[in-house]
Amino acid sequence: MQFKWTLGIAALVSVALLASACATPTPGAQPTAAPKAGSIAINGAGATFPFPLYSRWFYDYAFVDTAAKFNYQSIGSGGGIAQITAKTVDFGASDAILTDAQYTAAKNIQMIPTVAGAIVPTYNLKADDGKVITATIKFPFTAIADIYLGKIKKWNDPILAQANPDLKLPNKDILVVRRSDGSGTTYAFTDYLSQVSPEWKDKVGTANSVKWPVEGIGGKGNEGVAANVAQNDGAIGYVELAYAKQNALAYGSVQNQAGEYATASVATVQAAMSDFGTNLGDKLALSIANAPSKTAWPLATYTYLLIYMDQTDCVKGKTVINFIKWAITDPAAEKSATALDYIPLPDAVRTQVVKKLGQVTCNGKPIQ
Amino acid sequence: MKSLTNSRRHFRRRKLTNAVMLVLCALATLAAILPLVWILAYVAQEGGRFLSVEFFTQLPTPVGVPGGGVLNAIVGSAMVVAIAIVIAVPISIVAAIYAAEHPNTPLGIALRFGTDVLSGIPSIVMGIFAYTIIVLPQKHFSALSGGIALAIIMTPIVLRSTEEMLKLVPRSLREGSLALGASEWKTMWQVLLPAALNGIVTGMMLGIARVAGEAAPMIFTAFGNPFLSADLDQPIATLPHTIYVYAISPYKDWHAKAWTTALVLIVLVLGLNIIARAFTAWQLKKMGWR
Repeated sequence: MQFKWTLGIAALVSVALLASACATPTPGAQPTAAPKAGSIAINGAGATFPFPLYSRWFYDYAFVDTAAKFNYQSIGSGGGIAQITAKTVDFGASDAILTDAQYTAAKNIQMIPTVAGAIVPTYNLKADDGKVITATIKFPFTAIADIYLGKIKKWNDPILAQANPDLKLPNKDILVVRRSDGSGTTYAFTDYLSQVSPEWKDKVGTANSVKWPVEGIGGKGNEGVAANVAQNDGAIGYVELAYAKQNALAYGSVQNQAGEYATASVATVQAAMSDFGTNLGDKLALSIANAPSKTAWPLATYTYLLIYMDQTDCVKGKTVINFIKWAITDPAAEKSATALDYIPLPDAVRTQVVKKLGQVTCNGKPIQ
Repeated sequence: MKSLTNSRRHFRRRKLTNAVMLVLCALATLAAILPLVWILAYVAQEGGRFLSVEFFTQLPTPVGVPGGGVLNAIVGSAMVVAIAIVIAVPISIVAAIYAAEHPNTPLGIALRFGTDVLSGIPSIVMGIFAYTIIVLPQKHFSALSGGIALAIIMTPIVLRSTEEMLKLVPRSLREGSLALGASEWKTMWQVLLPAALNGIVTGMMLGIARVAGEAAPMIFTAFGNPFLSADLDQPIATLPHTIYVYAISPYKDWHAKAWTTALVLIVLVLGLNIIARAFTAWQLKKMGWR
């Protein structure tokens, strides 16, 4: 019995090993120099939205400052705020702007914008002939709010049909997909909906998680929403641009405040940022949803790092500040950001961030 | 004569029933085995594509940087599981001996009831517990807190299986040993435990396999770390947590890495299983039990 068991397991393992031996080596896999062993371990946690970029930045920065070991875990914006409040991390990250209560609880926390990103309405819809509609669907000004409010129920609703005369939208129910977890993406999305629809603002409002008027289906994380949209004919969801692109989902253009139909791109998010310009205030936090200019993408948001204004470990504090300066000013960091569909900060905002970083102290004394 | 035809008919009906039931049993057995084979084959197929020596020897790379491995997670998983074993196994075995020897004492009953309840608690609760009692006071995440969370999950599994195995040892063995003048200690150490060793190791392996695959309690304890670390007091990467992070990302190459990491995890747990079984067999032989 014993012998047979061992034999069975040995057989399974050899099958697994055989499979691996047959596997072709990955093209382009070349030995990459691992970052050198260093001495300053810095731990951070928070938003999932910028995680792919942050992991790239921290990897690259280990070559710039070989002593710095940044460890970032994407546990969600809510988690990032909670952990920096509990002081279990050296920095946090959030897409949502902190509420007054959160500021009070966390004590002396500063939001630092790092990049901006675009949220897109993504959909999966088969036309009456059975073909998936890959063309860009145009969403009039309040259409997305009305869909999520349950006022537009069908894909061939006159409001959508009039905006898309070239497309044969089918007579199908719209399946609303939304986030099931507390999310900075939901914050930015509901922020936009509140600005374009007074009814949304009254009934639902802006928050990390809200009471959805249409139940629909919930997905965990941007990935969960993307997966639910991909699996359901007639579904609509909202995800960060990279998630739509990487999952090959169609995403729509949205009519902005100026009445033009805009598509999410680096240029249109930059237009949205410049609409709000240098006016970031002392909190360095600003909603850039529903921007007024003609070329602006209305569903844009900044994403932020959360740092202590008075650091307790001077070496760590200095490393964090040097990293942020590198991330927002170095051309290599900017290149990584645009390659992953994130939008670098405008110069005016950069100046403000650098100025704010100069005010960070360590145990009450200036840090540099 | 009538009774003979009757009994023949009866016999044929019984044979038919037997055949039908046998087929149903075979189908049920197949249905039970199929998911295992399916999962293994699928993981081997999906994960095999990315598998290379580098995957075991390199640190992770971000999206868009080719290559990279999960060395940090292999080392990290080994560390947190080792911490869990060091804490859970001695406690479980000693407690199991007590529960098996004195099953009807109040403490014995409380122990059995307690472990049953403990094994029913979702693993993420253990993570939050370890977060509250270790991470929050220490003000930082650590490999140690992850190991302790896993130890709490592992304890009831090892304890109950050890207890059951000790109870299965025939009474005559124990009585014979005592009758020959061996002390209780000697009886336990040299007769009962060796007799139950195979089962105890199986229980330990079940416990290890279970905790080695836990991602949920790692999120707020071991936390994860893209760098190689062997520091008990610092955050550390683990294989299941790495699978989780890669799987929820939007990127194709990270999805592929999630499959490969899953394959690595399965192979490592199976490999450990074989080593433990070989070791038990060798140990029993050395003791003259086989």
